[in-house]
Amino acid sequence: MRRRDFLKTAVAGGIGASLSGAYLQPAWAQNPIKIGLPTVLSGGNAQYGIQAKRACELFGKEINAKGGILGRPVEFIYEDTGSDPATAVRKAQKLVEKDGVKFLTGTVLSSEALAVSAKCPEWKVILMSTINGAGSLTAKAWNRYFFRVNTSGPMGARAVSLYLAEAPMKRFFGLGSDYAWGRDSVASFSTQITAAKKEVVGKDYPPVGTKDFASYIGKIKQSKAEACYMALPGQDATIFFKQAFQFGLTREVKLVTEILELENMKAVGEAMAGTIGSTRYPFTVDTPKNRDFVKRFHAMHGVYPDMFDGETYEGLEWLAQVIQKVGTADDVEKVIDAWEDSSYEGLEGPFFMRKCDHQAVQPGFVVEAVKDPNYPHLIPKILATYPGERVTPKCRTEEFA
Amino acid sequence: MAILVEQLLNALALAGLLFLVSVGLSLVFGILRVVNFAHGVFYMLGAYLGFTAVAVSGWFWLSLVVVPPLVGVVGALLEASTLRFIYRRPPIYQLLLTFGLALILEESVRVIYGPTAKGIDPPPLLQGAVEIAGTFYPRYRLFLVVLGIVVGLGVWLFLQRTRTGLVIRAVAQNSEMADCLGANVGRVRTLVFGAACALAGLGGVAAGPMTTAYLGMGIGVIVDAFVVVVIGGLGSIGGSMAGSLIVGAAQTWGAFYLPETAMVIMYAVMGVILIFRPWGLFGEEE
Amino acid sequence: MSRTRVLALAALVTLAVLPWALARYQLSILTDLLVFGLFAMSLDLIMGYTGMVSFGHAAYFGLGAYGSALVLIHFGQPVPVALLAGALLAGAVALPVGWFSTRATGIYFAMLTLAFAQLLYTVAYKWRDLTGGSDGIAGVPKTTLFWGGPSLASPRAFYFLVAACVVLSLVACCALVRSPFGRALQAIRENERRFTSLGRDPRPFKLVVFVIAAVFAGLAGALFAPFRGFASPEVMFWLFSGQGLMMVIMGGIGTLVGPVVGAMVFILIQEVLSSYTEHWMIFTGALFVLMVIFLPGGLVGTARRLAGRG
Repeated sequence: MRRRDFLKTAVAGGIGASLSGAYLQPAWAQNPIKIGLPTVLSGGNAQYGIQAKRACELFGKEINAKGGILGRPVEFIYEDTGSDPATAVRKAQKLVEKDGVKFLTGTVLSSEALAVSAKCPEWKVILMSTINGAGSLTAKAWNRYFFRVNTSGPMGARAVSLYLAEAPMKRFFGLGSDYAWGRDSVASFSTQITAAKKEVVGKDYPPVGTKDFASYIGKIKQSKAEACYMALPGQDATIFFKQAFQFGLTREVKLVTEILELENMKAVGEAMAGTIGSTRYPFTVDTPKNRDFVKRFHAMHGVYPDMFDGETYEGLEWLAQVIQKVGTADDVEKVIDAWEDSSYEGLEGPFFMRKCDHQAVQPGFVVEAVKDPNYPHLIPKILATYPGERVTPKCRTEEFA
Repeated sequence: MAILVEQLLNALALAGLLFLVSVGLSLVFGILRVVNFAHGVFYMLGAYLGFTAVAVSGWFWLSLVVVPPLVGVVGALLEASTLRFIYRRPPIYQLLLTFGLALILEESVRVIYGPTAKGIDPPPLLQGAVEIAGTFYPRYRLFLVVLGIVVGLGVWLFLQRTRTGLVIRAVAQNSEMADCLGANVGRVRTLVFGAACALAGLGGVAAGPMTTAYLGMGIGVIVDAFVVVVIGGLGSIGGSMAGSLIVGAAQTWGAFYLPETAMVIMYAVMGVILIFRPWGLFGEEE
Repeated sequence: MSRTRVLALAALVTLAVLPWALARYQLSILTDLLVFGLFAMSLDLIMGYTGMVSFGHAAYFGLGAYGSALVLIHFGQPVPVALLAGALLAGAVALPVGWFSTRATGIYFAMLTLAFAQLLYTVAYKWRDLTGGSDGIAGVPKTTLFWGGPSLASPRAFYFLVAACVVLSLVACCALVRSPFGRALQAIRENERRFTSLGRDPRPFKLVVFVIAAVFAGLAGALFAPFRGFASPEVMFWLFSGQGLMMVIMGGIGTLVGPVVGAMVFILIQEVLSSYTEHWMIFTGALFVLMVIFLPGGLVGTARRLAGRG
């Protein structure tokens, strides 16, 4: 059995970072239920893998304190894929064949998820997505062993489109990073907003990793758009927000994003106040269950949960429920059958796992980044909540009714 | 008209930043014949230390002055403890050693600062925008243009007009002869490497308010820097300036007028230039 | 029998017997290591024997992977057909790229290879209809050994295919470097100016070896796609080229078999370290720095030196 030791460090002053510690589990950990995470823990996308890990740590601590699932402790095994699909498959294979894991989660890149998902029928393990937004995972590339608990990209674009269809703005610019998710998101938004009788006056696709958006900002200004729909990944979005503010774009054009992350808000600060967008999970959901979760999460990690902290926690809780109900964590086929068409009361609201494509039907949110004196950074204020049926695409497609 | 002016300024601002990053790389190659793969990570280090300096003291100008020498010292220490042992080997070894150093430094930054990007605000003097020819242009970007020119002139003057500069140039031309003539070649090498890292660090501090300090910013910029240096010619400051302008313009105008080519335009330009002048614009035939 | 022959025989026997000695997961890692070993070996042809440092070698691995993936997914041909397709695609692209790049030398050559590789990466990344774009092509099947022949789906069967390809490639490359052509390459590496002054043009030699190296890299990629079941742009990115350079140096530049060992060590170290600590990059980097300083001949090069060979 593999154990990981982590250093616990706290640095004072303006430098702040802390690495979570995991402690050796006591000897009673016989026959644990293992959950493997081939996730990104180093490099540029590490912030997402760390969210998955934080959720696992909180969930693991709580569930094991209550005696585990079916009387067995839950054990998480983390592997670093470094944002590389080849490594992701290698690590996933190690988790499955060497560690005997039956449940995988935590894949960060869609390309990693697609590569690992394609192997799951061969390995007979479940891949539970809590981060990946690519529509194809539950459409073209779907297989029985893949489950998506999180809001997908098309669902995010849908929520935004529904909101903006009612908004006064009529002219939109679409800015998506030049890769699958960015392009698909802009395309999805474009289709839907045009159907709502509004106009897309321009589209642009900056390469992933762009550090100077000046030209794009110039084009947006030139197009006389009233709002700009953005589908840029974490760091690119952060840079764009900063530069858009510096160019004064935010005064003329409303920025709308498919994913509004705490990571952006922490790095950019007030320069992005007023930005609206969809989010996979806003920690400001005002239900007793969520408020309690946020409190426990903050107590353990010292930060407020971001999108994938929440989504991963919900996935783990749901999976645990399913395993508990079906009475086995070893017969994967039974777990799959039990999970299909099952319901779950999540932090964000009611979830339903569709049998046809294993996409969890769940509420969609549109939020606004606002300043709040109770918090050290901007927070996502919920502007609109849409019921799952309105924001989830038709089965195994990326289109909406 | 406003658009044209804006595009011109965009290209100049980006060129300014690229110049700050690449001039050190060019010097290290020209003088030490080392391809310093870790150069980008020193840039990142500058940005992060700049963030800390501003967070602690609240003074951007202070960090601009204090951080680069710090980064330079780190670079000099690394050179003295590792690179200096392998100068006689073929260049591939030095390249790969710096690759290894880059891995160490990048992860160390992550250990200290964590994975979240760090935002830095420009100093009050450089905040906001100025009206130029009908368009509002961020003051901070104009500052980058000026900074690039000032640094370029400064380095050139140092190398051409000071005694230390003379020694450095002598070592670059013929290290054995310079050694015979009494120059402390080892110390010169450490100094140059450290200075180059300091310049990269300066670039990082300057980039911080524009791009935030983030992991992977070193890897993101190193290829751009290589292209600039190769276009301009290794070891030439004027070449780095020319290269920065060309790459800055290619990236900015390419993104605006030929968007589909944004990912490759820089390489295409480099390829074309190398076809006609295989040693870069101001480079010397090997 | 000479020592080399004994070692080679021992290695062959070990490779043949290992599938029964190793657990399933370990066998799959070994297969992985062999694939990357082949990639590193191909790089040694141009790096170690001709003295050309390429920053863009990963592109040919990638071309091999995509070519093989497309043939397997769309046409369902036996794996060797896909291997041929991948290797030939890599070689075909390397021809014009090499022609342009070999006009320059040294760092400029390296940068040109980088530029072309990034261009190819961009094509793979953006040509979504063909290559799946940034998502890549997943679900590449392991088909059969030949039409109507045995399936290669089992780990052991595929391992033998990979091992056979690697061993045969190694033999072919060894023969190549010992031939007059190979000696000419080494002459070019030693002193290109003298080569030219003797009235010979180095460019055709460089071009040919560049293409040959690309073909073997393409073969490695073509094996990778069905083995891992996917092809994605990451395998064409310059960072992977850089890792290839590291594998060659770690194993021993100019030894052909060294880079194979280097690739194995490089990947194993990362695997082991990354399972123990998040900060494996620090240790990998430090190990690397130490190796470059103290073991310039790489593992095989140093071993040979210690064993008293020249």
